[in-house]
Amino acid sequence: MSAPLPQFRLAAPRTVTEAVAAYRDHPGSRFIAGGTDLLVNMRRGIGNPTYLVDLSGIDELAEIRITDDGVTIGAGVTIAALAQNDVIVARYRALAQAAAAIAGPGHRTMGTVGGNLCLDTRCIYYNQSEWWRSANAYCLKNRGDSCHVAPQGQRCHAAFCGDVAPALLALGAEIDISGTRGTRRIFLSQLYVEDGKAHLALADGELVTAVHLPPDPPASAYAKIRTRAAIDFPLAGVAVALETSGADIVSLRLALTGTNSRPFLLAGTEAFAGRCIDDKLLNEVDRLVQKQVQPMRTTITSANYRRVAAAALARRLITTLGTAGAA
Amino acid sequence: MTADSGASIRQLRRPVPLIDGVEKVTGRARYTADLDHADALVGRILRSPASHGDIVVLDVSKARALDGVVAVITGDDCAYTYGVLPIAMNEYPLARGRVRYRGEPVAAVAAIDAETAERALGLIELKIAELPAYYTSEDARAPDAILLHDNKPGNVERDVHHQFGEVELGFAAADLVREESFCCAEINHAQIEPHASLAEFDPLTGRLTVQTVSQVGYYLHLMLARCLGMETAQIRVIKPFIGGGFGARVEALNFEIVTALLARAAAGKVFMELSREETFITHRARPHTDIRLKLGMSRTGRMTACELQVVQRGGAYAGYGVITILYAGSLLHGIYDIPAVKYEGYRVYTNLPPCGAMRGHGSVDTRHAFECLVDRMARELGLDPFAVRRANLLHAPTRTANDLMINSYGLAECLDRVERASRWKERIGRMAPGKGLGMACSHYVSGAAKPIHFTGEPHAVVNLKLDFDGGITALTGAADIGQGSSTMVAIAVAETLDISLDRLRVIAADTAITPKDNGAYSSRITFMVGNAAIDAARRLKALLIATAARKLEARPEDVECINEVFRVGNQSTLPFAEVVAAALVDEGAITVKGAFTCPPEAQGGKHRGGAVGSTMGFSYAAQVVEVSVDEVTAQVTVDKVWVALDCGRAINPLAVEGQMQGSVWMGMGQALCEETRYLDGLPAHASMLEYRMPTTMDSPPIETHIVESHDPYGPLGAKEASEGALAGFPPALVNAIANAIGIDLNELPATPDRIMDALIERRRQARLARTLKAAS
Amino acid sequence: MHAPGPEAKKRLLRLRVNGRWREDAVSETALLVDYLREVAHLTGTKTGCDGGECGACTVLVDGEAVPSCITLAVRCEGRSVETIEALATQGRLGRLQRAFHEKLGAQCGFCTPGMIMAAEALLRHNPQPTDDEIRAALSGNLCRCTGYVKIIESVKAATETVHDR
Repeated sequence: MSAPLPQFRLAAPRTVTEAVAAYRDHPGSRFIAGGTDLLVNMRRGIGNPTYLVDLSGIDELAEIRITDDGVTIGAGVTIAALAQNDVIVARYRALAQAAAAIAGPGHRTMGTVGGNLCLDTRCIYYNQSEWWRSANAYCLKNRGDSCHVAPQGQRCHAAFCGDVAPALLALGAEIDISGTRGTRRIFLSQLYVEDGKAHLALADGELVTAVHLPPDPPASAYAKIRTRAAIDFPLAGVAVALETSGADIVSLRLALTGTNSRPFLLAGTEAFAGRCIDDKLLNEVDRLVQKQVQPMRTTITSANYRRVAAAALARRLITTLGTAGAA
Repeated sequence: MTADSGASIRQLRRPVPLIDGVEKVTGRARYTADLDHADALVGRILRSPASHGDIVVLDVSKARALDGVVAVITGDDCAYTYGVLPIAMNEYPLARGRVRYRGEPVAAVAAIDAETAERALGLIELKIAELPAYYTSEDARAPDAILLHDNKPGNVERDVHHQFGEVELGFAAADLVREESFCCAEINHAQIEPHASLAEFDPLTGRLTVQTVSQVGYYLHLMLARCLGMETAQIRVIKPFIGGGFGARVEALNFEIVTALLARAAAGKVFMELSREETFITHRARPHTDIRLKLGMSRTGRMTACELQVVQRGGAYAGYGVITILYAGSLLHGIYDIPAVKYEGYRVYTNLPPCGAMRGHGSVDTRHAFECLVDRMARELGLDPFAVRRANLLHAPTRTANDLMINSYGLAECLDRVERASRWKERIGRMAPGKGLGMACSHYVSGAAKPIHFTGEPHAVVNLKLDFDGGITALTGAADIGQGSSTMVAIAVAETLDISLDRLRVIAADTAITPKDNGAYSSRITFMVGNAAIDAARRLKALLIATAARKLEARPEDVECINEVFRVGNQSTLPFAEVVAAALVDEGAITVKGAFTCPPEAQGGKHRGGAVGSTMGFSYAAQVVEVSVDEVTAQVTVDKVWVALDCGRAINPLAVEGQMQGSVWMGMGQALCEETRYLDGLPAHASMLEYRMPTTMDSPPIETHIVESHDPYGPLGAKEASEGALAGFPPALVNAIANAIGIDLNELPATPDRIMDALIERRRQARLARTLKAAS
Repeated sequence: MHAPGPEAKKRLLRLRVNGRWREDAVSETALLVDYLREVAHLTGTKTGCDGGECGACTVLVDGEAVPSCITLAVRCEGRSVETIEALATQGRLGRLQRAFHEKLGAQCGFCTPGMIMAAEALLRHNPQPTDDEIRAALSGNLCRCTGYVKIIESVKAATETVHDR
């Protein structure tokens, strides 16, 4: 028998309103969607919620709606459904590629868009058993006083490893958030904070309910580096959305995951508008990526490799999209 | 010794599904954790949080007082050491006085359920006065390092110094001498079934029954008797279905002894299931190995001399260490004709989980270094990699420089087969950018000819029972751990008797029922147990032939049994059932025994450690690996593998193919992506996420070619098939990467970060060279 | 080593397991794999890791292959769960079971139930998958014995047999 989970109660609301209320009424609550990340951590004794609010029975979260205003993806849509959606595959390529590259088929069946966006950050010192973490005096992210990755620093460096977020960032997504104080809409980029211990800008009791993508997206692509071609989280993941006019760049947006405590849009790409894709530009992108990513010793694989590989992926994706666009 | 029986080949060459396959595909197969344990207590182990230190406080009184806790034990409850080698038992099931690695068992609890057991562990007070800890061989061997074990100066468990032939003369005669350092990461068996054990102690009879994941029930049986201070006759060890072993379960393991100790303390039944993390920590796998290798070669590719130094980071206890460090030197021999060899080996104690035996035991990292260096020297000499291997082949029968016996040798044919199948000649040197081909050879023993516990008994015994139903039950102590050994026994008996496989049942690995066997390790079962099974079948056949002769009024030498019919020439015939009925008259059920013993001349040289590596027969393998290397991301894709294995004769070709593919693939894991890493002694790899064994997406087609050299002493001519091909993969991969992108890697695994570092270094060197050129 | 929390409630769980409806009192914190093994005594489903990493526990929930070791049992309320035990019917091995047996897709057999259930989900959606599709569908299921070669051959062989399932 598996090691026992900590004791908790489970609520199964049918609407977002009920979910928010259930959370509010029970201190120590957590939302649970697919559970592919939360339950694994709970089995390790990380975070002992006493009340789980199960979002999987909320129909309004499970829809993909396509209108003239763009695409709205419910936070409860599964990764598998996202990866197989015809419109997403045809027009929002980076998103479909990111979804298809997550974990293994079983995880994609269970995991959700909202869950992947709100995935906990990861670190070799954090995703360990209770015995392991306790033998190591815990860590800044969980019960401890210092970060083993950067003991001198003041913050947790655990890395965000979701795949869907960079694709959505590059495609300019907005998200809907619901909480006790109502709903709000923000750019996805505003959801994330560069702090491994508190990387989501959500108030207590808030949950992401939907993602909005603008219509007529530019060409896009996603690729990730990992040791194995399945199961593994990204050591570095890059999404690119590229709009060209002839040989000239109209807009280039590039987002990264796996290297920092948050997924982020590469800063400084506006300057590439009007330029053509050549070695000079690719070298500039390479430098920007290497400068802005901050991989730390949060994985067995070296930080320097993740930095170099992220830049290499960025170059490759821009080249590929540029060639496809010109053809 | 027995020669090839010349048995008919009715069943041979026909792929036979495993005789226990239906249970496995239906979910009916009961593995240890599937056994009924509803009425058992739950066992849990408290593990050391410290790498090295003296236990100053270990107070279990609060845990003992907790409601629902039935037993709590500590090192005080077992004052006996255990270990797989009689000469090196230096480990307690629960630490006494000192802990030497993080995760070492310190105390254990049996409680009514898992929650209570967990809570009880939390109530145990443990204080450790920490000592300096050493996580590398180098640190442990430093002059000022304190000793992990007082009787082992320099923290060296065993140093080996062997020399055969005139090494200096050999190097002097060489046209090219090269020396390189290699480093192979520690890896783990990572069998999919986590460790588990179910122990029942009956206080009324004083008997202990243990059902557990062991590959060698006999070893565990001995260690249980020793650690519990019990008579061996009071103990029974049963092997249920086992979810893989690969060497992990050859030694008696601490949790197995702890479960039995708990069962006795609780006077009842205790079930212990380790987590995946604990299963990793139990370890006993391939050590981190540093190698320096020097090789001399003539310009035609003849090897003239070899000097090898191996340092193994062994972990905190002896385990199999002495054998591993001896294998690393002795299995340099037995595959090529090397006139002079010098070997220096050091097995080092460190504050990490103990290493042990893993598929290809001791031979893999040495073979990796050797096959890489041979390839590089061939390149330097402008020789083809196949040609260099062919220039150094052995000729059976022969004895090696270190006195190993070789009676069959199919390596030349293995080379031919993979060279042709991969279209090497047409393709090598003409591959597209980023694509490469590499090759390497390897070999392995078909069982250690000298057993660890020398008792004078045969190496294997098989009993056959023939009864009224016309069915034959084969009893063997050999543990089928998925490799198909029980199926092999059934085929060997059916072949010898020329009867249908359906008449056979095999009962394996229950120390109360089956004759003792040395177990599933060193690929010994096919050769030794196969021969014992054939011996038993022949004895049974002689009885049946004698009966048939009486009934047919013929001389026994004129009677034969073909396809379940006894006959004299073409005239008189008797069906099998009738002969069985006649044989049972006055006798009742017939039990016969067969045995196999390795003769002294097979048991190795007279030098110290000379028995290690000795075997009745070596398997031989050659393989070609095709890769694509992405120079942008430094990721390697294995596109295809061609492997040929000389297994003497394929008793079950289906199982041989499966073993070849599995061993090559396991070599691929070690070569590409698997490694165990520790952060100050804490395992960073102790999950199936961080221990990166390849997935379906990473795994190439593996084309197998079976080569049959018909070993004169092998059962039906067979040798082993499960390990020989493993060691060739890592060097073939590294040679293929060199062929693809011109980078020679000296570190395993060939992960993208290591390749990226090499690519960056090459660019840096090129820049430096340009700068220097411009400046001059 | 978990601190005791508020007493978890047992709940009456009603679900269909291998075609038959059952009702059991199940803790809200119970994992599906433990429910299947300990309560329903269906030990064909295996546990190989500490959570969601190896695929050995793969079962079908409403026809989809999922890891039962990170699925809460009570979330299967009203749903249909299928395990390896369901595939052999009326004294006949299922097509995948037969193929895995005959083609040696199972060596030690421990990953086999999960592997077969993942393959079963694939073949229900896609009766004639390519090798690449088979690899992708099984990419969350680890095997340590076979190198996957004979597993892929087994799935392929199962698609070629004419069977009712």
